[in-house]
Amino acid sequence: MSNDIWVLAEHHEGKVKKITFELLSAGIDFSKKTGQEVAALLLGSGLEEAVKSLTPFADKIYLMDAPSFTPYTSDAYLASIASLIKEHQPSILLGGATSTGKDLFPRLAMHLQTGYAPDCTGLSMGEDGKLTARRPLFGGKVFAEMAFSEARPRMATVRNNAFLVNENPGKSAKVISVPPHIDPSLLKKKVTGFEKATGAKLDITEADIVVAAGRGIKAPENFKLIEDLADVLNGSVGTTRATVDEGWRDLKDQIGKSGKNISAKLYMAFGISGAIHHVLGIGTCKTVVAVDTDPNALIFNYADYGIAGDLFQIVPALTEEFKKALVADQ
Amino acid sequence: MEIYVLVKQVPDPEAIVKVKSDSELEIENKYFTSFFDEIAIEAGLKLKEKTGGKVTVLTVDNRRVDALRRGISMGADDAVQIADPALEGADQFALARTLSTYLKDKPFDLILTGRQAMDDDAGIVGPAVAECLGIPHIHSIIGLEVDDQKKEAKVLREVENGKESLTCPLPALFTCQKGLNVPRIPLVMNVMKAMKAQIKKVDLASLGLGPSDVSPYIKIEKYVPPPKRPPVKMVKEDFPQNVKTLVKLLREEAKVI
Repeated sequence: MSNDIWVLAEHHEGKVKKITFELLSAGIDFSKKTGQEVAALLLGSGLEEAVKSLTPFADKIYLMDAPSFTPYTSDAYLASIASLIKEHQPSILLGGATSTGKDLFPRLAMHLQTGYAPDCTGLSMGEDGKLTARRPLFGGKVFAEMAFSEARPRMATVRNNAFLVNENPGKSAKVISVPPHIDPSLLKKKVTGFEKATGAKLDITEADIVVAAGRGIKAPENFKLIEDLADVLNGSVGTTRATVDEGWRDLKDQIGKSGKNISAKLYMAFGISGAIHHVLGIGTCKTVVAVDTDPNALIFNYADYGIAGDLFQIVPALTEEFKKALVADQ
Repeated sequence: MEIYVLVKQVPDPEAIVKVKSDSELEIENKYFTSFFDEIAIEAGLKLKEKTGGKVTVLTVDNRRVDALRRGISMGADDAVQIADPALEGADQFALARTLSTYLKDKPFDLILTGRQAMDDDAGIVGPAVAECLGIPHIHSIIGLEVDDQKKEAKVLREVENGKESLTCPLPALFTCQKGLNVPRIPLVMNVMKAMKAQIKKVDLASLGLGPSDVSPYIKIEKYVPPPKRPPVKMVKEDFPQNVKTLVKLLREEAKVI
């Protein structure tokens, strides 16, 4: 039994996603308590750049190189990962609470008959090696601390920004090439196409900065103001259920109970009144700014900074002010 | 087509949910059928209308069958409740094992459910049922077309940077996301009928399962209230000074930019 801490590395167009580095950084912290090794699990093909970027963050990289791993399907991933886990018996397996993590982890946990805590906002490791996962319930109205049974590995998917990326991880991973375990008869699903989201930078669940507007923006074309601000901050644009139901914005950008939960470092809400559906989706953002004409808007109860004012006046001025400040930094 | 839809009655998003003690929650008595499960029911009904067949709604719940009645009022043909004292406090894996044991000898072509239940927000049961049954699954679909002759589904799935199209042979399990459809609102007459509809009740023993088959892999050790934000700092200066101050606060105090 290796007892190691494993992280499933996620990558897009050959580049490793930030959540993977966050989880490896957490793994490095945990390993200092228990002396385990940290390993990244990397599946795909043409992953030289990914291997290079992961090397300082792990003791080992298990590399499975096969074209059928790109794009992701659980059919291809599950058998290969499961057989590697059975061979090495890691203590922990972590992944991002992403479309891949949420598709693969519950099924893999059932397959391995082990515990899995989904969509966590925190993980902690006791001196005795006990892992506790913290996760929101009821859309974030309460949180639960989850304990795992004796089964291994203990599995969790974690939201973005739950951990900081270690600036000096100080590892130098050994790359271990593993033959993939693919049974063609099990490859039932076939990805036949991919439609890239228009104008999308990062998904709102992955972006460090999210700028959003609600019905207070008055018309769909006015989102240009919000997009300009997001561009300056290198952030992504979110919205509320109301504008999605109006057909003004795409569902993928909806924040809240029937949309997405975001964990941005900075979330800015313009013309958003703060319905419970919406604020449940921003509970784990680090800093929240709200601007609304109504000084009694509920959104201010969930914000760190607020301005009672007109977004049509404030947003363009903010864009200019940030532009100036960020230029001065360079 | 034989379609099964896994559903759950959960506290309404408006319901107040608070921590009562480490091991207990206080939940306001306001329940509804989990929104994503309603989307799954609608998807099942739409397919039935096209290809014929039958839609059965299925829940594991010792107390509430309202989600089943909702399903019937929308147009489902049959409803099954799995209930057993041993399922009290069961985790999602135990629920998945229970559901899949019930389903394994049924003639299903398709199993649908919500992308997650709006109480535990876990999203485990669907994929775990598919694993137990050895059928493919796809999480969070926003488009679905079925070729009943070829027994194949064309599915659109939401991923981080766009939309992915997939083909998948049936039988399969899909979890449904907002955008797939808009669930119908049942007619009052059908709601009345659903109140009286017969619901088949199944317990663990009749599935050949014992308490050890539903022992949990994960358990809630402690409930905690959500992290509290400090009171909001309102920037009360006049425009444009308020904008300058806000930028300064975000850079120097919050240090997020």
